[in-house]
Amino acid sequence: VYGRIGLVLLVIVAGLVRVLPSYYTGLLTQIGIYALVTVGLNLFMGYAGQVSLGQAAFVGIGAYTSAMLATKAHVTPWIGMVAGAIAAALVAYVLSFVALRLRENLLALATLALGIVINVVFNEWEFLGGSSGIKDIPGFALGTFTFDQRAYAILAWALLALGIWFAGNLVRSTFGRSLIAISAGELGAEALGVDAERLKRQTFVLSAVYAGVAGAVYASSFTYIDPTSFSFLLSVNFVLMSVIGGIRSLWGAVIGAAVVVALGQFLQIAVPIVLPSARGDFQQFFLGVILIAMLILLPRGITSRIGEARA
Amino acid sequence: VIAQIWQYVLAGVVAGAIYALIAAGFVLIYQVTGIINFAQGEFAMIGAMTASALATGGMPVLEAAGIAVLAAAVTGALCYLLAIRPARAATGVTLIFITLGLDVALRGLALFVWGTNPLSLPAFSGGSAILIFGGALPPQALWVLLTDVVVFAALYLFFRHTYAGTAVRAAVANPPIASTFGIPLRTFAFWSFVAAAAIGGLGGVVVAPITSATYDMGLTLGLAGFVAAVLGGLDSLPGALVGGFALGIVEKLAGGLFSTGWEQGVGFLILVLVLVLRPQGLLGRAVRRA
Repeated sequence: VYGRIGLVLLVIVAGLVRVLPSYYTGLLTQIGIYALVTVGLNLFMGYAGQVSLGQAAFVGIGAYTSAMLATKAHVTPWIGMVAGAIAAALVAYVLSFVALRLRENLLALATLALGIVINVVFNEWEFLGGSSGIKDIPGFALGTFTFDQRAYAILAWALLALGIWFAGNLVRSTFGRSLIAISAGELGAEALGVDAERLKRQTFVLSAVYAGVAGAVYASSFTYIDPTSFSFLLSVNFVLMSVIGGIRSLWGAVIGAAVVVALGQFLQIAVPIVLPSARGDFQQFFLGVILIAMLILLPRGITSRIGEARA
Repeated sequence: VIAQIWQYVLAGVVAGAIYALIAAGFVLIYQVTGIINFAQGEFAMIGAMTASALATGGMPVLEAAGIAVLAAAVTGALCYLLAIRPARAATGVTLIFITLGLDVALRGLALFVWGTNPLSLPAFSGGSAILIFGGALPPQALWVLLTDVVVFAALYLFFRHTYAGTAVRAAVANPPIASTFGIPLRTFAFWSFVAAAAIGGLGGVVVAPITSATYDMGLTLGLAGFVAAVLGGLDSLPGALVGGFALGIVEKLAGGLFSTGWEQGVGFLILVLVLVLRPQGLLGRAVRRA
């Protein structure tokens, strides 16, 4: 089912990019990239019942790895993408020994802290361009064809379709069932023979792989990255996408990412009309309010309502 | 070099005094409600911004400070009533996300009201820098330290020597039994948010003359407050004090000896180490497994 949903989405996007102006194509790419991260995050938060407030850092690791390889070593972003995923996975694997010993409150704090530490590394390590980041990141290419905005939209959504298909198979396997058991109660799951620690670690690493791949595509499609691209606020945005779509839902991630990106665009246009004096990142206020409202009114996300109606 | 290190330590003590105040608010809310309030730093931001904006408008500093603390307390009350109370049936992770939403929303709101430019607040009293063994402190530092003494003494007296304080301790120790004795848990939850916000706001007000006030100062302050609270033990007010000062000093040393960008990074490295090696904090009791 998930494979088909992914394919349908991909076909729709491939059709859309033919007619949409390039600005909107760019937004589609953004949605695809964010949704990919959120699918991974939902595996970790929604299915395994954990929490990560540092997912932006893994996106950053993927982006920096691919961008550094491309600018310094002239490695094609195709390989950079794989390297970015591996780098994010390795970091997540190492961090998991620290973070996954903790639960709920403290896990949230620890992932938040690790996310910020990684951001400090981006900022302070001159090798990575420091606070000015990396410019002119080479793009993807196939043969003689260099990717344009349309191609990036299709690439992002193709990866997203692949990601949803894989995650969809995963959650219906023993692995996925075990994750749900862990979220229902770790002790109970272990009593049933689930190796909770190992599964949580694998899921954490997998979510970092999703984020790393997304980061590599981000770096090449926007051609410029700096530490502020992967700040704490982006991690909060991923949580928001996850919550809006429903944290235990895979295609909810797509809805969540689309809603958050669309909302950002809408607010950027609407708020100055209502309040001409507003400046800067004022959308934050609405994102925060919406997050709270969602959690109070619809804690399992938009897709939970649709699911209930079907059942 | 020694003189320089001493200067960093003094700067760390001042920073630590603020962290301790924010950590205290954190501990209050966590003890009474079990919630980690990610919006804690924003209360300090609201205190600092309100006082600075009012003082820039011509109001005497102390008056502005008083109103600012009140504004922070009201914000805390509204946060509880509008966001926490309606979701009281929610589980841990949902509550984390809600306070995260509060944090983002308050920061966005501050951006609306005050814009991105930093505001400054005159020091509470004039005079030249204070010299301690060759290290210099701004006069405002005395106000910061004095605030710490007053706040922590007041908290101590409240919890140890008043009827209401004892009731709160009972509620923390065993909510269901305290409840059967007629102790109003929800009312306590409300007041813990108000008190935490007021203390955080006060911290923001007293530090504003040193650091100046910006709409986004809350995140950094709040995170430092978390680290301090976890370092000291989330269930310990003395721990908040110790954790605050320890963090402040280590941060300023790291910032001074390496690079200021590392200040925050070092704090978080400590946080991670503490979480792994001693999750109950320096002065906290061992965590009960639920």
